[in-house]
Amino acid sequence: MPSIQALSSTPLDIPHTVPDHALLPFLRSQSQNTLTRLYQRPSSCLSILRLLGPLQRQLIMNLLWLESAIPVSTMAAWVVPDGKKLYNEALSAVVGLHIIQNSTVKLALNPTFKSSLRQAITGGGTTSSFGVPAEKDEKRQPVGIDTLDAYALERWETILHYMVSSGQGQLPTKPSQGVLFLLQRSGLMQTTHGSALQITSAGFQFLLHSPHDQLWSLLLQYLHMAEERQMDLVEVLSFLFMLSTMELGREYSADSLSETQKAMLEDLRDYGLIWQRKGSSKCFSPTRLATTLTCLSPPLPTSSTATSVTTSGTEVSLSSTAGPQGFIILETNYRVYAYTNNPLQTAVLNLFITMKYRFPNLVVGMLTRESVRKALSNGITADQIISYLVAHAHPQMRKNNPLLPVTVQDQIRLWELERNRLKSAEGFLYKDFASQADYDYVLAYAKQLGVVLWENTTKRSFFGTLEGHANIRGFIERRSGAS
Amino acid sequence: MDVDSDSDISLFGDEDPRAKGKGKGKASERPRKGKAKRKAKEQAYTWEASYTRSWDTVQEDETGSLQGSVEDLMARGRRRRLLAPASAIRRTIIRHLVLILDLSNSMMDRDFRPTRFDLALRYAREFVAEWFDQNPLGQIGVVGMRSGLGERVGEMSGNPQDVLRSLSDRAKLEPAGEPSLQNAIEMARGNMSHLPTQSSREILIIYGSLTTCDPGNIHETLEVCVKSRIRISIIALAAEMKICRELSDKTGGKFGVAMNEGHFKDLLFELVPPPVQQATIRNAGSGSGNPPADLMMMGFPTRLPDTSTPSLCACHSDMKSEGFLCPRCMAKVCDVPTDCDICGLMIVSSPHLARSYHHLFPVKPYEAVASLDDTSQSASACHACARPFPAAPSSGVVTEGISPLGRYRCPDCHHDFCTECDVFVHDVVHCCPGCGK
Amino acid sequence: MEAEADKPSHLAVIVDLSPTQWYLSAQASNPYPLSIESFLSQILAFLNAHIATKNENTLAVFGAFPGKSVMLYASTETLVDEPPPLDANSYPPFKMVDTTVTQRIFRELDTIDPGDEPPCALVGALTKALCYINRITLPSISTSVAEGSTNVPDPRILILSVSPDLSSSYIPIMNAIFSAQKLKVTIDVCKIYGPDTVFLQQAAHLTNGSYIFLERRDALLQYLIMSFLPPPSVRKVLAVPRQDKIDFRAACFCHKNIVDIGFVCSVCLSIFCQPVPVCSTCRTKFPIKALQRLKSACPSPAPATPRPLANLNNAVPRTTEATNHGTPGLR
Repeated sequence: MPSIQALSSTPLDIPHTVPDHALLPFLRSQSQNTLTRLYQRPSSCLSILRLLGPLQRQLIMNLLWLESAIPVSTMAAWVVPDGKKLYNEALSAVVGLHIIQNSTVKLALNPTFKSSLRQAITGGGTTSSFGVPAEKDEKRQPVGIDTLDAYALERWETILHYMVSSGQGQLPTKPSQGVLFLLQRSGLMQTTHGSALQITSAGFQFLLHSPHDQLWSLLLQYLHMAEERQMDLVEVLSFLFMLSTMELGREYSADSLSETQKAMLEDLRDYGLIWQRKGSSKCFSPTRLATTLTCLSPPLPTSSTATSVTTSGTEVSLSSTAGPQGFIILETNYRVYAYTNNPLQTAVLNLFITMKYRFPNLVVGMLTRESVRKALSNGITADQIISYLVAHAHPQMRKNNPLLPVTVQDQIRLWELERNRLKSAEGFLYKDFASQADYDYVLAYAKQLGVVLWENTTKRSFFGTLEGHANIRGFIERRSGAS
Repeated sequence: MDVDSDSDISLFGDEDPRAKGKGKGKASERPRKGKAKRKAKEQAYTWEASYTRSWDTVQEDETGSLQGSVEDLMARGRRRRLLAPASAIRRTIIRHLVLILDLSNSMMDRDFRPTRFDLALRYAREFVAEWFDQNPLGQIGVVGMRSGLGERVGEMSGNPQDVLRSLSDRAKLEPAGEPSLQNAIEMARGNMSHLPTQSSREILIIYGSLTTCDPGNIHETLEVCVKSRIRISIIALAAEMKICRELSDKTGGKFGVAMNEGHFKDLLFELVPPPVQQATIRNAGSGSGNPPADLMMMGFPTRLPDTSTPSLCACHSDMKSEGFLCPRCMAKVCDVPTDCDICGLMIVSSPHLARSYHHLFPVKPYEAVASLDDTSQSASACHACARPFPAAPSSGVVTEGISPLGRYRCPDCHHDFCTECDVFVHDVVHCCPGCGK
Repeated sequence: MEAEADKPSHLAVIVDLSPTQWYLSAQASNPYPLSIESFLSQILAFLNAHIATKNENTLAVFGAFPGKSVMLYASTETLVDEPPPLDANSYPPFKMVDTTVTQRIFRELDTIDPGDEPPCALVGALTKALCYINRITLPSISTSVAEGSTNVPDPRILILSVSPDLSSSYIPIMNAIFSAQKLKVTIDVCKIYGPDTVFLQQAAHLTNGSYIFLERRDALLQYLIMSFLPPPSVRKVLAVPRQDKIDFRAACFCHKNIVDIGFVCSVCLSIFCQPVPVCSTCRTKFPIKALQRLKSACPSPAPATPRPLANLNNAVPRTTEATNHGTPGLR
């Protein structure tokens, strides 16, 4: 009997520390050797530094320019008494990455990391880790940032759109085979009985994440796959990090890349991280998806409305200034107005909203019990719906406090609770007791252990948890043996 | 569900003024007169209460653009500043103010969102914070008008936290009954009767009612106020009343009727900067034309560091380590500025005095640059924030005090500044980035 | 006590570039001579470290030159004529900062008239930094593409000072401090050379910043990184040295004496160390009666501890005396 967690909607704790970046646990699982090789490149050190939490970064910076190790106690003297816990967490996190050498007496940076980061900050060296710029080609126009943005967006939305619409038959353009494989491997989509790919509940949840999180979870999957494909992980990682330090709108030469990295070019092109004039081109340009990889909450211009306005022509300039703006207005009467003409966003909204009308730039729908239940049964949680609505709230909505109407929030949660009225637990039913006294005696014992889930005196039966079974059985046996 | 949809459709009809042709057709359906009052009764749903028709207040120009209205608003702000004299002027620095809040039934009217009372309370808190920021040596007391009585809501205090605390409890201030101007003014006057001559005495009344219910002749109260040089300013939320106008005119205060939420705030915040000392008051003073100027003895305290040994403070008898020592009697007080509880010396710290200096030495207003013909070379970006200036002058109605090029020039150092910096320099920094003066 | 969300921060650095003071600072007779060249290279490393810690961090650098203040670098502006060529071994934004700042500093230093040197325009640089912060924190309709982002960075100002206080700039500096308070800007001060400045101590204190008197000038970069790199959220955990001893006494306008009990004109708030019949600032005559009353109330009109506010217009700094102030370094 599968056990279902009854209270899944525990109130969200406010995190005391900024949660780790998704990549860091992966890095931590690597061997010291791999990491040290990775740290040989200044661009990798710089990118990893940016993925760390603020306190961890400061610790590294404090040690960066010191020639000798300093005693642990000296560093600890800087910490205010209340911050001891945070400090220790930060320190162990950095030690886990082998950036600070593990020692109980003295603190010092990993020498490789230290020299590389110093080199990154002061410039110089011969590692070429920030990308070799391509030769200026007089014949061709350099590629514009708009083109790159449009390309990245088109690629990325193709992937997402494919996922959203998989269940509904009318399939849009298919992403490349590599992407499909990746989606399948990551468990976001799956085939059932050899039919077309179907989105899984993990996939539905994935759709409601921010583009940045989505990108990283795919890349992480890519890294896991790279391990299996016998690619050199250091090469793969340092190429990603190099991309993140490149300048948007420039062309870089592919000549200096290793074989592994050249192979990656094609994959990353499919994800929209890299733009190339043609498949065999010797140059490549990173797109905004790539250059903002190390931002923690990047203002991805590729998200949502910015683009939908672009298509309407006149307001192109406005859209680029507006950046990532929300587009959803939610009213207390459960009505949702979404100012968008982006089919992807409409499709995502369609996951939990009953559509009513569509206008050229506006979609109107209702949050109804049916629509929300449909989403819940797809594996989306109430919190995810709420956080999606919050993340994409229209600037007008942001004036409200609280941002979403409380009634609607509560109702969504209540709808989720409706599904959780049944709670199941594995265990054993004890019945057919010979006498009432027997029953009472065993029951009292079970209650003492605190393992009784249900009891019925008239039927002389009770239900105990799995954990308590051995004890109760032993008790009954001992008792029957004695009598 | 059907009812719901219907209400939405009519909502859309209202929402899009273009569909109705510049909103003129609408006027016939919904007479504007007294709309505000009636709206409350027309509401079918409570959510409509949070729904304001902001487009009613802006006027489109012939081409249907709102640019004109926006520029007009900005120009008004600039012109107001141009009126202020640029030279050092005499202002009252040590101020005493009694804030009188109308707590009568009429404050529950909903023509201001959410209600007159809630809005007045919110703005009053903001006002107090801003007022203390600009008048660190001042004191504020709060009096409420409720059920025909004057109620003391907060004692005269120089500590913003005390005043804000008295305004924070909404339930305690719940409006009821009729207001009484006379009772409230008499109470405020009593609060201020003991004050020294060099400090100002001011009363600020936020008045929502159209009536007052007084025990005696209010004109006599007015006479007394004029005599004791109390300045009464009134902001009416409903309409102008003769007695209110008279009260403020005769005492040299300001009177205004708030037209909307924004205007209400403007009127209130106009009273934040210290008033210019007026000739009428000076003449009324000691008769010989002698201004009520005086030398004041002030003590500059020693600040005890957080690490010093704890001791009891003279004001609250609390045990704490930080504090300030009165230079004359060495008593320890918690906060400055204050009057020493032991020897009565006024204790201030030098930043408090410095906070008032900008009222005395204001920045000269910048001149709007009308054209670039008169200058040989002109910078391409704002001298302060490096924001590039628009290359071509903006077309549209040229209003006085607004530069079509978005350039404003300091008369001293002849550097050009952008609109935002012009406002920022004059309203916040009080120091020209070009000449540093 | 939780470290807040990892917000980007904006750092405005104001560099005091008075040629005279830097010449004096480089003299070998100092305990730790520091030349402007080595100062600049350390500053650039610090600026790069600030950009390095977070992708969205922004930076603005202002130079206070004699009689003139100049914006040396800003993340949203391109101030050099052509961007430096890409180089495979350096991160493009770092390179941009380095070339822009050095180029513009040397261009300005070349134009300085070798003759009479007016005092450094610290106030101008400070107000410009505030105007710039005002611009980026209040994105308006007319702002350019780069600052349209919705996450507004936390602003800070760091002043690297070598010049002594200038008594005439007291009021403008105080005004700047109060506007910084309004904008919630922290002002940090690092006194690299010369005696402590009272004005900047107050600036740091009133805006919750830290004031550090640089004792070991050979360790400038380490000081900068440990004390001024962490944004306010990190400072809650890693304590940054603060100045506890700050003089809040005022100097009288007549003799520039520090007074404990002073006499203040009720009109213009000028401070005098003894009762005077006429205010020297606003020419107000005070009533005789009040004068007599005050004279009797105050037995000793002489200030309690007469000592100069700071050696204001006294250009020769005493480098040895100023070591007891500030407690930077490890505690």
